[in-house]
Amino acid sequence: PAPAQAGRAPGPPDGGWGWVVVFGAFVSIGFAYAFPKGLAIFFKEIQDFFGTSYSEIAWISSIMLATTYGAGPISSILVNRYGSRPVVMFGGLLCGVGMISAAFCTSILQLYICVGFITGFGLALNLQPSVIIIGKYFLKRRPIANGLAMAGSPVMLCTLAPLNQFLFDNFGWRGSFLILGAILLNCCVAGALFRPIGPGTALVKTQVNEEGKDALKGKTTEDGPMEKKTEEEEGKDCFEKVNQYLDFSLFKHRGFLIYLIGNVLMFLGFFAPIVFLAPYAKHTGIDEYSAAFLLSILAIVDMVARPATGMVANSRWVRPRIQYFFSFAIAFNGACHLLCPLASSYTGLLVYSSFFGLAFGMVCAMLFETLMDLVGAARFTSAVGLVTIAECCTILLGPPIGGILIDTFGDYKYMFIKCGAVMVLAGTFLFIMNYYNYRMLAKEEKERKTKEEHLKSVRTENEGKINWNKDSTQDGPELEPLRENGEGVKKEMNGT
Amino acid sequence: MPAAFSGWCLGHLLLLLLLLCTSLSGGTLADAAMTTQDSSQAQVNFVTKTQVGHESSGPNASIQELKPGGKENLHSVPEHEIVLIGTSLEKKISLPSPTKVDLTCKLDDHSHLKNPQVTWKKGSETISHTSKTEKSWTIQVTVSDSSQLGSYTCILKAEKEISATFHLQVPKLEGKEKPVITYARDTAVMVCTAEYNPKAWTWYLANGTELVRVLRADKFQIKRPSPNVNRLEILKLTKEDNGVYWCEAIFELGSNQIKFELKVLSFGAPLKTFIAIVAEVAILFTTIVLYEVYSKRKEKGSKKECDQTKQLKSGDSTETQK
Repeated sequence: PAPAQAGRAPGPPDGGWGWVVVFGAFVSIGFAYAFPKGLAIFFKEIQDFFGTSYSEIAWISSIMLATTYGAGPISSILVNRYGSRPVVMFGGLLCGVGMISAAFCTSILQLYICVGFITGFGLALNLQPSVIIIGKYFLKRRPIANGLAMAGSPVMLCTLAPLNQFLFDNFGWRGSFLILGAILLNCCVAGALFRPIGPGTALVKTQVNEEGKDALKGKTTEDGPMEKKTEEEEGKDCFEKVNQYLDFSLFKHRGFLIYLIGNVLMFLGFFAPIVFLAPYAKHTGIDEYSAAFLLSILAIVDMVARPATGMVANSRWVRPRIQYFFSFAIAFNGACHLLCPLASSYTGLLVYSSFFGLAFGMVCAMLFETLMDLVGAARFTSAVGLVTIAECCTILLGPPIGGILIDTFGDYKYMFIKCGAVMVLAGTFLFIMNYYNYRMLAKEEKERKTKEEHLKSVRTENEGKINWNKDSTQDGPELEPLRENGEGVKKEMNGT
Repeated sequence: MPAAFSGWCLGHLLLLLLLLCTSLSGGTLADAAMTTQDSSQAQVNFVTKTQVGHESSGPNASIQELKPGGKENLHSVPEHEIVLIGTSLEKKISLPSPTKVDLTCKLDDHSHLKNPQVTWKKGSETISHTSKTEKSWTIQVTVSDSSQLGSYTCILKAEKEISATFHLQVPKLEGKEKPVITYARDTAVMVCTAEYNPKAWTWYLANGTELVRVLRADKFQIKRPSPNVNRLEILKLTKEDNGVYWCEAIFELGSNQIKFELKVLSFGAPLKTFIAIVAEVAILFTTIVLYEVYSKRKEKGSKKECDQTKQLKSGDSTETQK
């Protein structure tokens, strides 16, 4: 772990307790993503028990997913107000309570509420703060930290699936829900690990970026500490107050808008192939066990791909151009889906699953890293909330649209073609728009530099900041060549 | 070399039919079949196509399963066939009602067996062929009651003896192989599904070696959500309800039963595990909090000493960096 930069203005630790936080985030994110998928094992039994149709049971999953993504802004507001730690602990408690009460449900409607809403909301309160706190603890090694934390999802899925089966065989669905409630309380433990880190670090990092962005927005603040004071002064203003909790001014942020549009488009085709992979395999005549094996291969490759992608993204060749890497990963994912209909044999599907696992892991590992890269750690809290609620709609629409395509044409290939096309489109869009964004940022950097030269003599604090800037960039070897490139890359390195 | 080639052919097609066999008998050998999936796929399609080629319309049941309540073409007799290769093969056919079936044993096109002698047998009784071609032998069986159900074998004698068996039986029932786990004071649900619509359903409770019909209206509820599905609901469970239950479906040609095992647990069973996990959570949580308090105190104590030294150091380092 890199030594803490003692003696200078404190930056994010990039190590030490940060790795413990990554482990906590690993557990928390793992539960948030894997738990809804793991519940599918119980559905057949619950369907028989209540005598309902399959679609009514599938609503449980949908409500859970919708709540987890839709409650993003609420989560962001709470984190902005109280910090990550209390929110995650409360989220873990909520999940536990939700599942425990689900064990005593006597109707499907009660299950919708207990499992769908309450547990879903608890998972939302787990997901966002975990991602946010990584941004607070890491800067230079942030991509690795993100990759490792996101690896929690496939690992938890691989653990939960057999565990759920075991619990179900021994305790039936009611007992299993009770025990799963207790297991979800472990999220509170993960939350306890999220030691709050000083606010000064976040503000000092963003000063450079904020100046450029503030020039666009028309705010007059230039210093980190000064910015906070301004916020407090204008706190009485209603708009400013709302912005303090949830930064709606992000909608004027060019990078944020590019990310939002690209991602919303991407999620239309992101999850459908996973949902339909096993049915497609059975449709081509493969037996159930082999079809399940395909999904296992996907999860295993995914597990390895995420930290690996994190490491690649952290390298000095990729980090400054991480947005291009992200667009490439999305387009690669799309290309996999477009080629899937050509794989008609089992080995073909095995190859497809491995590449899909790789592509899926690559995209997921960088999902939040790229957003952090664009908006900076301070505004990331609000950004992630706004992004997840926008993605919520397309995530929910993706699999049903795929299902409709399959039912209409009676063939799975149109679904794969649709998903592939949407993702290639999203990848290309992001690639082009980020090229434009990088150029604009370089231009702004030049403008800001000339402005700084002007004010250098007037503000002593500026001088201190710039020196710190130069110092920190000369520190790690991977930052040195980036500075030489000077394509507005330095902005990104400073946690923009 | 012809011998080696035919040996390779036989081996390859043996695997194919192993697959056919397992898909009909419920996938117990699925693991073995898994590795031959890709090569077998093409072969399976090949066999299906040849059947469609030479027979008149009728449900083609060699690979697909017959759907419950499926229609039968009234103008022709359902034909079932097995392609003969090296080892013995079996095929199970479910018949819901009296009907006539054609059973065919066919030699694969690659086979080199010449002038084989084919006999059809049921048990020890020999049946004469209805029709015969150069490479296929067919009998027609009229099934009007349960005595005509059973195993019909075609035996082919040439250089070696090959046989294949058709099992004519009543439709299968589907239930739950693993025990149904419920809790005291809760309701238990057992769902019994049949391939075809039976005439009647009955449920039995196994009392020692006797089977007692399930009748009590306050305790048991039987529902029929669809013609081929039957539900038994047991209300107000107690420990005494533990045991084996049988679902019986009565068809025109006989009846079939399937077993359900009911386990009634007390609430304490999962509760123990639950409390263990909650205790683990509490212990970890307390440990983390205590560690944090401890390390903060340590930091505060040493911070006062280090502060001044740090300031001096920072002054030095910033100068050297410039």
